[in-house]
Amino acid sequence: MNIKTTLATLAVMAVLASCSKDNDGTVTPENPGNYILTVTPAASTGVADYLLTAGSLETGAVSTAGNGVEQDGTYRYYVTYNDKFFSMLYGQGNPGAVTAYNVKDGKLNKLTNFQTETVQAFAPVKDDLLLFKISRNPATPLSTWYKVNTNSLLITSEGTTNTLALTGNGELAHFSWIKQVGDKVYAPYFTIINNSFATNYPDSAWVAVFNYSDMKLEKVIKDDRTSFIGRYFTDGLALTENNDVYAFSASVAANGGKLTSTKPSAITRIKAGTSEFDKTYYFNFEEVSGGMNITNWIYLGNNTFVVNATAKAEKGAYVVGTTVGIVNVADKTFKKVSGLPNATDIKSLTTNNYTPKDGKTSYIGVNLKDGTSYVYKVDASTLTATQGLKVDGGTITAIQYLK
Amino acid sequence: MQIKQILLLGLLCACSIFSNAQTTGSLKGYVKNEAGEPVESATVKLLNTAFGTVSDNAGLFAIRNIAPGKYTLTITGIGIKPLQRAITITTGNETELLIAVKSAIVNMETVTVTGRSAAQESNRQAFNVTAVDAKKLYNTTLDLAGALDRVSGIRVRESGGVGSNFNLSLNGFSGNHVRYFIDGIPMDNFGSSFQINNIPINVAERLEVYKGVVPIWLGSDALGGAINIVTGDSYRNYIDASYSYGSFNTHRTVINTALTNKRGLTVQLNAFQNYSDNSYRVKVDAADINTGAYAPNTLLNRFHDTYHNENLIVNVGVVDKSWADKLLLGITLGKNYKEIQTGARMVSVFGGWHRKGDIIMPTLKYKKANLIKNLDVTLNANYNLGSEQNIDTMNVRYDWYGNSKPNGSNGERSKSMYKYKNNNGIATSVVNYRIGEHQSVALSDVFTTFNRKGNDAINPSSADNELTKKTQKNVLGLGYSYDVRDNWSVSVFGKYIYQNNINGSAANAAATNKFGYGIAATYFLLPALQIKSSYELTNRMPEAQEIFGDVENQEGNPNLRPEQSNNFNIGVSYAFSANSNSKFLVNANAIYRRSDNFIYNRLNNNQSKLVADNRDGVRTVGGDGEIRYSYKNWLTLGTTITYQYLQNLQKYEPEYTGVSPVYKDQMPNIPYFFGNGDVSVSLRNVGRKGNNLNIGYNLLYVHAFYLYWPSRGGDKLDIPQQLSHDINLVYSVASGKYNVGLECRNITDALLYDNFSLQKPGRAFYLNLRYFLNNINK
Repeated sequence: MNIKTTLATLAVMAVLASCSKDNDGTVTPENPGNYILTVTPAASTGVADYLLTAGSLETGAVSTAGNGVEQDGTYRYYVTYNDKFFSMLYGQGNPGAVTAYNVKDGKLNKLTNFQTETVQAFAPVKDDLLLFKISRNPATPLSTWYKVNTNSLLITSEGTTNTLALTGNGELAHFSWIKQVGDKVYAPYFTIINNSFATNYPDSAWVAVFNYSDMKLEKVIKDDRTSFIGRYFTDGLALTENNDVYAFSASVAANGGKLTSTKPSAITRIKAGTSEFDKTYYFNFEEVSGGMNITNWIYLGNNTFVVNATAKAEKGAYVVGTTVGIVNVADKTFKKVSGLPNATDIKSLTTNNYTPKDGKTSYIGVNLKDGTSYVYKVDASTLTATQGLKVDGGTITAIQYLK
Repeated sequence: MQIKQILLLGLLCACSIFSNAQTTGSLKGYVKNEAGEPVESATVKLLNTAFGTVSDNAGLFAIRNIAPGKYTLTITGIGIKPLQRAITITTGNETELLIAVKSAIVNMETVTVTGRSAAQESNRQAFNVTAVDAKKLYNTTLDLAGALDRVSGIRVRESGGVGSNFNLSLNGFSGNHVRYFIDGIPMDNFGSSFQINNIPINVAERLEVYKGVVPIWLGSDALGGAINIVTGDSYRNYIDASYSYGSFNTHRTVINTALTNKRGLTVQLNAFQNYSDNSYRVKVDAADINTGAYAPNTLLNRFHDTYHNENLIVNVGVVDKSWADKLLLGITLGKNYKEIQTGARMVSVFGGWHRKGDIIMPTLKYKKANLIKNLDVTLNANYNLGSEQNIDTMNVRYDWYGNSKPNGSNGERSKSMYKYKNNNGIATSVVNYRIGEHQSVALSDVFTTFNRKGNDAINPSSADNELTKKTQKNVLGLGYSYDVRDNWSVSVFGKYIYQNNINGSAANAAATNKFGYGIAATYFLLPALQIKSSYELTNRMPEAQEIFGDVENQEGNPNLRPEQSNNFNIGVSYAFSANSNSKFLVNANAIYRRSDNFIYNRLNNNQSKLVADNRDGVRTVGGDGEIRYSYKNWLTLGTTITYQYLQNLQKYEPEYTGVSPVYKDQMPNIPYFFGNGDVSVSLRNVGRKGNNLNIGYNLLYVHAFYLYWPSRGGDKLDIPQQLSHDINLVYSVASGKYNVGLECRNITDALLYDNFSLQKPGRAFYLNLRYFLNNINK
């Protein structure tokens, strides 16, 4: 019988011998610090996003190799608010899983997971994140909003808005983004016939104004000097220190796959204390830039923006411009920035960037075709871009800062 | 390709010219034991001549071209007493014999390891094949997938309980790299109602697992291997019925029966049914649908996961006719219903979404050995008229507690009543011609067609439904083999594949031609020591489901390219005994694969569906091994181990010029180290004579693996190690006529995951009752 026992033991042990030890779960970041970079490895498939920390955006290097907090998937959006960093999964029809982090001793520290919905616009408002899930089907025109309290990290209220009735033109309103302006929420929108995103109204801009406390629609303001404000998933509004609201139009309304707007890419204004477009202010960007259009912007303070722009030939509803320049909305000027890599070497520019709001500095992600990425410091006062932190093994999708 | 066909035809014609005129006689017979069961692998010889053969799995044998005269016939074999009989062969006549042999009790105990059952006989081919004797599992509640999971090199990943989605990987290849056959007929078109995760093991007689190179008679573009389910027809008149009941309100019934009269008229019937609530308990982060707060590690029962399927297979026809060994007309009827509890992550939970499917498939099977002398012909055809439907109509969000609230307008995930038919059919033909004792030439052709048509009652305008989704494929194979039985054999073969896909409109039609070839050889160093080796340049075309999606979990990828791979296998098998009581069997295989345009499934960007995609290059190096041991006739032990390393060799990513950060990284989300162990104790004559008690234990181990690329990130997501233990007890009365089985799966109630976050059932108990009656009227 001895041989039996021995053999049985051996057989089982052979199977078990391989069980490896678990990690102890404490992972020290390669470059501890309060800057957070979200990076997608430059591989087309089977990838997750990684959250990396860095002590400085101006020097040094950081990599996804063996470093970073893995996120489940790459279809993600990131926002920093109320001293918290939120990583939100965009999953068609799936509940939107959100993970909230803070930074402790230069290291990301997971606070909690919670669940929201997959939404098409979200922005900080008061103590909350306001989320909007927007209908694309005119047969079911109710769009749902959710208020997520950033202290309790819970959905505190929700409700609906009829985004078909809102436009009155038979098309659905699709908010390009939302922004808190005083006690109100400004939601610029484009109109869509259905989920093809085509429109028959390419030559107007609209902003829906909601009263935040009950999310009641107060009014819709309209401007026929430009096409719609912002772009899909792009914030087209900026609030200056004196509470003026500036808006850019990329002029990318489309129908049947063709750009149909006759209006130029331009910047307009809603003066502080009013809720109408300021008819005295109009900055024809297309004319000033020699035919370009704005695709994205970031407000640095002191009426100064860093803008991404595309030439007429590159123009498209989802193209992010690789031309970087400085716009001063007070002077109505546009000047290109020098010091960036050759456009032919650039794969993409990051659109979710960081600025300390000092009126002149912004840090933008530049992702090169060779697979390396850098943070460039853009100085609006000198119109220069300077290479800073190197990021190995991925494309930068967001640059954020957390105290 | 024309020239090849012409050459082949010429070759076949030339061969048939050598057919002898009728100046000889022949001999045909059937070997049975005292229980009336067919005896397979018995050696049949005419003493002092070169004539000889081996009985097949139905106990049948035939020897032809014997000069007239008197001979002494000898029957020998492991587990039977040698027997001699005088016979007379006359010109132009076929002598028929019924031979009853007696079991050699003294040798019985060695059968487990050294006796060559049909299953083990398959293992002696030149191909790297593992055969599983399904009969040994008849008293369990396993389905085919569960049985296959115990084979070295195979890992079946399931997303949940009974009827859940599965993905079988074989030596690192998974999905449609591995093709399934039932009696040599591809199962590609059987739909959701008839799949390896809902067919009970009792339908099969044995399962043949070909790793890597697939023999020509399984004509197909399998790249990673093939699984052939042999249903067998060794019993001509029998009934085998079983019923089981167990945890999560699971009921399973299987009835297999066949009736054959003396004139060869036969009716075969397989009927089976599975039902389960799959209401097993899971540990989840359950979100409050109103506040979004998670209650971590909450224990809850699944509430929307009912699965059931009912199937009936009937074949009517004739056997043992001069013009047909078998001609069967049949129909496979079945339907299934499946509720969908979760998406690709357990945080997305559904309460109304479900799926239905049915199968209505007429079949034709024809087989004739020596249609003309030495020419065997097999023809099979079937056409599936069945349909599938995806039903998602509730505009709500569910939580794990079963609560729901209104949520937009697009169903739970994507509003749908889409119902479609794939209109798929298969025709296969194999012609095998033997040249003398050692050589044979085989020509095989498999044609498949797929034409999806569907509509959605609640999205009648959905343009996608109107698009043409059509694919046709033909695989033509030619093989030659030279076989010196129990000494050495070699096979060479070529395969020519043609596929035409139409996606959207005729303008988007794309035809592809691929040519592949290979060689397989085996050599017996000793009668019990076999080495085998094979090489193949193989092609695998994108499957219809991969191109067009399955409307549920698989997203279509019309741009998927065919994959090509160089496959090398080497294996060794050795049987030996330590002493007269202790017998060992050792198998070891090593594989090397270099694949271009490697096709694999990844999650889409939303993490909501799987999508098939190509990698430029993937290298697989791996090995698997098996050790079996038996002591006398009452104890058997076995263990299998598999290790496989799949490495990404795509150096550049699309649109990037630098070396990919995951170049030479291990492929993510693929189990790479796993194994099984089993112990079985058979106690004879328990209670009374003829009553046996069998106690079995099975262990499954899967090493943890990463969800995403291993080299990236420091704080990573993984699929944790799995270790589960199953035990079963079977009490058989009256030499196996009545059987009572008791089974416990996952005794330790371990949390098991095959896929990230998708928890499988915990501890479960099943009671299984089986009745078997065999009455051969030969």
